[in-house]
Amino acid sequence: MEIDVTKEGNTVIISLTGRMDAVSAPQFDRTLDDLLAQGDRRLIINFETLEYISSAGLQSILALAKRLETVDGSVVLCNLSGPVKEVFDISGFSCIFNIFENLEDAKSSG
Amino acid sequence: MAVFRVTLPATIDHLGDFIQALSRWLEQEGMAKEKISRVQLAVEEALVNVIRYAYQGVAGEVELRGEVTDDDRLTIKILDSGIPFNVCAVPKPDVNCGIRERKVGGLGIYLIRKMVDELAYRREGDKNVLTMFISRNLGNISGPRQDARAGA
Repeated sequence: MEIDVTKEGNTVIISLTGRMDAVSAPQFDRTLDDLLAQGDRRLIINFETLEYISSAGLQSILALAKRLETVDGSVVLCNLSGPVKEVFDISGFSCIFNIFENLEDAKSSG
Repeated sequence: MAVFRVTLPATIDHLGDFIQALSRWLEQEGMAKEKISRVQLAVEEALVNVIRYAYQGVAGEVELRGEVTDDDRLTIKILDSGIPFNVCAVPKPDVNCGIRERKVGGLGIYLIRKMVDELAYRREGDKNVLTMFISRNLGNISGPRQDARAGA
């Protein structure tokens, strides 16, 4: 999995590419550890080029959301499609996260 | 009848090897890309369970078998010699609650159940044998809302 981090104002956009599985999810956790340590609190995760996600990836995203709640931060998701959207729907994650059709809508959400 | 069989050490660094080899075989068998993705998910979740819990820190192996039968069904078997663990006896997690209430973890086996048509566990001698039956056609998968309506 590739993780691309860009900052726009006080918003961090994390774009994921490839496969978020039990091998690559810890890499996401480390990246987010660093961002939170730097004080970033408003995050957008862009799934446009993510092809696959397993429960390990879902767990990482849920753990991130829980951490952000404790520090008054927020995370929104965008561009879910195909197998990734299917896994979010099945697991009930589609109902518990703020999910936007595209990055522009996610940016204007806050 | 087409058969696939790979045995590797039960360590997380071999997960990709299992998934890639299985996917190549399923492609050769003409399975649709979307269906392969679902099989990958079920197999990853099952393998990760074995890798994390079966051997309790002791080295061990896991075997992945696939078989496409004449009735056009795919059967996947995952065998390990770790501690007995009946995947089928694990209760369904709550998939409806919010971020605060939602527990981190417990989703893997739920996802396996959703990706396959039928799941069976047997302890055979000193081995755990998990069998997944998967039809080759795509079909729809229901989420928690549809489950609630169906009374599942």
